Amino acid sequence: MVAPPRPGGGRGVRLRVRSMSESGPPDPLKRLGEQIDKVRLQARKGERKGGDVTSGGALGFGLRVSIEMVSALIVGVGLGWLADHFLGSRPWGIIAGFLLGSAAGFANVFRAVQGMGRPPPRGGHGHGSSDGG
Amino acid sequence: MYFGRYKAWAGRRRAAVTATDQATADSAAAETDLAEVSAPLEQFVVKPLIPLHLGSYNISYTNSALLMTIIVALIMLLLVGATSRRALVPSRLQSLAELSYEFVIGMVRQEIGDEGIAFFPLVFSIFMFVLFANFIGLIPFSFSVTGQIVVTATLAIFVIVLCTIVGFVRHGVHFFHFFLPPGAPLYMAPVIIPIEVISYLSRPVSLSIRLFANMMAGHTMMAVFAGFTLTLGIFGFFPIAINVAMFGLEVIVCALQAYVFAILTVLYLRDAIHMH
Repeated sequence: MVAPPRPGGGRGVRLRVRSMSESGPPDPLKRLGEQIDKVRLQARKGERKGGDVTSGGALGFGLRVSIEMVSALIVGVGLGWLADHFLGSRPWGIIAGFLLGSAAGFANVFRAVQGMGRPPPRGGHGHGSSDGG
Repeated sequence: MYFGRYKAWAGRRRAAVTATDQATADSAAAETDLAEVSAPLEQFVVKPLIPLHLGSYNISYTNSALLMTIIVALIMLLLVGATSRRALVPSRLQSLAELSYEFVIGMVRQEIGDEGIAFFPLVFSIFMFVLFANFIGLIPFSFSVTGQIVVTATLAIFVIVLCTIVGFVRHGVHFFHFFLPPGAPLYMAPVIIPIEVISYLSRPVSLSIRLFANMMAGHTMMAVFAGFTLTLGIFGFFPIAINVAMFGLEVIVCALQAYVFAILTVLYLRDAIHMH
């Protein structure tokens, strides 16, 4: 995997190059590049298939969801409190902020669960259910 | 009225605290050594190393700032040093630098596409900074910069302000459609718009709290178990074993949280560049 220290590594590669040039293909680097491209393409396909952003087990997922919920509540209640502070509408701003914040928290959680922050592939907004979020 | 009740409660609480203080003052004297050793939150205290004042602002050079300087210097050293030779068959150091580069650029390209390459330097800087800050925080007697919510919040606010600017530059007034999803009926707008605005504003909060909470929780837990080691005497090997296992977990968490911070930055940028 990891290249051995410099002198050894260099010798190994040179040896392989010589044996390849004997057997035919003139440019081993080109072949190496092709192989790398192939592997990279496969890796990219694999990533697409099992694309699980921010994976980290169930615990990590639970933590993420709860943080999404709580942060929306913090922002909602904070904005409500600020509105109260400047408009002098003591309880109502916080109440409205709490309700809107929890709604936003549910929206966040819904989005996080839906695709771990990844929407379905673009191309038409025809997904009726995803609009309501 | 509420305030009066709070005052009464606070007064009672203060009285209770002072009473217990006096009661335990004698026994506490014997335990101060242990208490000092096992104070699990002491590791997060920001101490000024070079006191500086600008007007009424305290801009002292703190241990946090020192650690950040070290982090940036290490990143520079690694990247410049590793890529200076540019060997075709990379050395270990060079392949480390190349791996991190490939990792981040793959992430950007996959999520945003080729328009996102302009933001690659930003994402790479954020990723490397958070990664190094997390890992250096694991070294005993160092300081976890990402365990300070000021640091993570500053990063997160920077990211979100940038995303908003990018969104307005690319889409102009159309960016306001971000807060009213297409297909939503117009009479729902008074409800949906505040919810979406709160949801948008909660992004920096969740981004900063996630990193900060993970770091702080892990470090606090390790400090608590290390404190048990001293108090348990001969059974102290047990918390040490737990701490060894937890250190392994923390290494994973450090790498994972740096990745999460970077990928969420990328996702928010993608939302700003390709709306909905």
